[in-house]
Amino acid sequence: MSLKIALDEQSPLLTITLSGRLDSNTAPELDEVLNGVLTNTMITRLTFDLGQLVYLSSAGVRCFVRARKAIEPRGGNVVIVNPQPAVRKVLDIVKAIPPGGVFESVAELDAYLDHMQRKVREGT
Amino acid sequence: MSVTIRSRQVVGFRTVRGRMLFWILAVTMPIYAGALYMSYRATAQRLEADAERDADDLAARLAAGLDAVIRPIEGGIRTVAHQLEEVDPPPVQYPQRIRGILAAWPEIYGSTVAVETRHGGANARPFAPYLYRQGAGVSYSDLARASYGYQDLPWYRRAADAGQPVWSLPYFDAGGGDIWMVTYSVPFFRKRADARRAIAGVVTADLDLNWVTARAAHVSLGPIGMGWLSSPPNPRSFVAPIGATTERLGRFAGSINEDAIRDFGEGMLQRKTTFELLPGGVTKAPTYLAARHLETLDWRLMLMVPRDELMSEARALLNRQLALGAIGLVGLIAAIMLVASGIAGPVRALAEAVGKAREGDFDLHLPEPRRRDEVGVLADALRRMRDSLQRHIDLRAASLAEQARLEHELAIAASIQQSMLPRREPGTAQLGTARIAAALRPARQVGGDLYDYFELRDGNLLFAVGDVSDKGIPAALFMARVSALLRELGGAGELPDRLLAGVNGRLADGNDAAMFVTVGCGVLDVHTGRIRYASAGHDPPLLRTLEGTVTQLTMETGPAIGIDAGVQYPLGEAFIAPGDTLVLFTDGVTEADAGDGSLFGLDRLSTVLRDAPEGEPHALVQGVVDAVAAHESAFHASDDLTVMAVGLSPSGVTARSEAGVPHWLIVPEASAAGLEQTQRCLRTILTARGVGPGRIGDAELIAEELLTNLTRAAQGQAGGIQVSLACALPPGEIALTVRDNGPAFDPLALPTPQLDGAIADREVGGLGILLVRQLADSCRYARIDGLNVLDVRLNRVTDSHGVPTNVTQDCP
Repeated sequence: MSLKIALDEQSPLLTITLSGRLDSNTAPELDEVLNGVLTNTMITRLTFDLGQLVYLSSAGVRCFVRARKAIEPRGGNVVIVNPQPAVRKVLDIVKAIPPGGVFESVAELDAYLDHMQRKVREGT
Repeated sequence: MSVTIRSRQVVGFRTVRGRMLFWILAVTMPIYAGALYMSYRATAQRLEADAERDADDLAARLAAGLDAVIRPIEGGIRTVAHQLEEVDPPPVQYPQRIRGILAAWPEIYGSTVAVETRHGGANARPFAPYLYRQGAGVSYSDLARASYGYQDLPWYRRAADAGQPVWSLPYFDAGGGDIWMVTYSVPFFRKRADARRAIAGVVTADLDLNWVTARAAHVSLGPIGMGWLSSPPNPRSFVAPIGATTERLGRFAGSINEDAIRDFGEGMLQRKTTFELLPGGVTKAPTYLAARHLETLDWRLMLMVPRDELMSEARALLNRQLALGAIGLVGLIAAIMLVASGIAGPVRALAEAVGKAREGDFDLHLPEPRRRDEVGVLADALRRMRDSLQRHIDLRAASLAEQARLEHELAIAASIQQSMLPRREPGTAQLGTARIAAALRPARQVGGDLYDYFELRDGNLLFAVGDVSDKGIPAALFMARVSALLRELGGAGELPDRLLAGVNGRLADGNDAAMFVTVGCGVLDVHTGRIRYASAGHDPPLLRTLEGTVTQLTMETGPAIGIDAGVQYPLGEAFIAPGDTLVLFTDGVTEADAGDGSLFGLDRLSTVLRDAPEGEPHALVQGVVDAVAAHESAFHASDDLTVMAVGLSPSGVTARSEAGVPHWLIVPEASAAGLEQTQRCLRTILTARGVGPGRIGDAELIAEELLTNLTRAAQGQAGGIQVSLACALPPGEIALTVRDNGPAFDPLALPTPQLDGAIADREVGGLGILLVRQLADSCRYARIDGLNVLDVRLNRVTDSHGVPTNVTQDCP
């Protein structure tokens, strides 16, 4: 079982859907994709949809960390939706994504984003 | 073949000849002896009758001879007496008359005319002139002398008193002529005035009996016997031997008591018997005596005939008959022998001819020529039997040839059937990572059991075991169809449930023979150890684990193939780890009979598998076959027998069991694929042991983090480093041990990475060890024998995602 990577770019939003296994063998594939995508500075929000990801090892976690390092300095952020329990467990252990950056579903993420936009609007 | 002719009758008759001789002689000899006896008796009686008749004849002749002399004398004397009455001459003339008498009959010795004085007249005075022959002349004497009172003597008195002529008994005249004499006395009378007759005197004639003796001696007596003429005893008797008696008596000198013979003869005359055998003691040899009474003078004839002599003719006849009989007997025996040989000879020849016949050689040389009697009938019967046997043998030979041809064809069929099996030489076949072994032992040359296995296009293994409802050729033909269909449909990639349904659809259609087959069929995923299995009425397979437990896969089964078309088969699932072995079998194993009705059974099969030292497929198959053979011992196999064992042996993985705890050692390839291979193997093992998917994921993650670290570390090493991962499953735990021969390095000693800082400050690294420490229940590092040994343990708690996937049932 290998890794499948699907990109859905609606600038400045980018959603990467991963299915399969993200481990030390497949992580380089994701790194390569990310390298290409992250050169585009227009991206401010990178969403990893892990609904189909069944396995995640520390090598994969490192991909997420590298993505954060590339985006967060630009004021962007990285969020993860739909992690499977086994994947969620790994994410929880290594705390690669800050609290609030992991959503159980796309609906939860959308609700969060609506909330943030409302705050911004009210704040301005 | 041996022919034994045994008589159940009288012991000793070993031959027909003997029996015929015995019985024919036993019947004929008494008859012959009886006939001889009757003949002898008849001859003897005839001879006795002849002897009697001879006696009668002799008596008659003697009487005639005597009468010829006596009767004229009697007449003459009576005439003289008559003349004396009529003429009544004076007594002085008496001598003249007497001379006339003597002159007339020379047999008369002397004669007298005696005068009666008692009734006479005055002139009556005693006077009895007696003239008798003396020499050539005649002498005279007067008997009337005082000293000779003639009127009181018997010769006078008896005649005078009787008044008629009387003969005296013979007497021996001792005073006169010293001869035997007999006296004839005739009275004469005188007529008196009163017309009464008064006795006047008596005329006598003395007969010299010498003539009687001479006449008797001249009578012919015949060839045998001795005879006497004799007078009544007085007390002496006059005896005249007859014929040659005197000479013949000489032969019996001293042995004959003549008086006793005479006494016995007198007794016979009184008893009025005429022919008797003399009592013992009278004569030495048995002798007949014939006694006759002659009217003349009241004399007797005694005729003595020695029996030996009388019966000599009978004996001679008997001897002739005996001789003839002996000749006849010899002829009879010869005839019997001839007839018996005529029967026994051919019968013995037949017996020998039959006795020479050996198994397979019934070309009997029966004796010729043909006969029309019972022996011929027997020979004909034997000939027919021989021909019948020969035909039977020919038929049997033809039948044997046909059988040999069939057996040859059967052998070819068996060879073809064997060639349908995927592997003919014993041993374990390695198909990818699968290992498989099988054995099929037909009860007959060809059988109805089948097995097959082959690699599918995706590298997985399809295997099947089947048992056709019958045995022998029909089963073999059906089996061939089943095999071909399994190959055809299985090769097309059908899973077992659809595969069985497809085979069933093809076989149930037009199955006029109403044959069916039970099939157990599975596909082993060589990557994951998953077995998908379907059963068409077949015995569920047994799973022998690495640690030696044996469980039966209890899956739902469909109906046997060939009965109903359009049947669906349920698909079951099981997992095996490297070292585990799935064992399929037919009922030829469980129903192997020891001869006393005790079947091999599932218990024995489970025991054999459990007690096997390891799960190597061929060793297990051979063990089962040997155990069944030992169970059946001398009893013949009654059913086909098939055993198949399927195992999994990925490269780089070794499995062993230690004190009931399974151990696997994985040596990953030194490449990127090595990690994937290791994880897959781990997943297979843990799945097969019922570990939940969450725990399996944890184990995979730990393996990756540890191995990745080492791979990264190895990049700095010349020649790389060697790594191995061991997995053991002690109760309740999963023990993972990673060993490498790199420089001593304790990953657990690394500082915990900073997780709370800003992302920009964070080290990208150390996360792997963090994961390991977080997931594992314990981690220990040790440097042992130049190796880094990292021991990680997880508890086996099944999480919410894990349910046992092996649907198994413990075997008893």
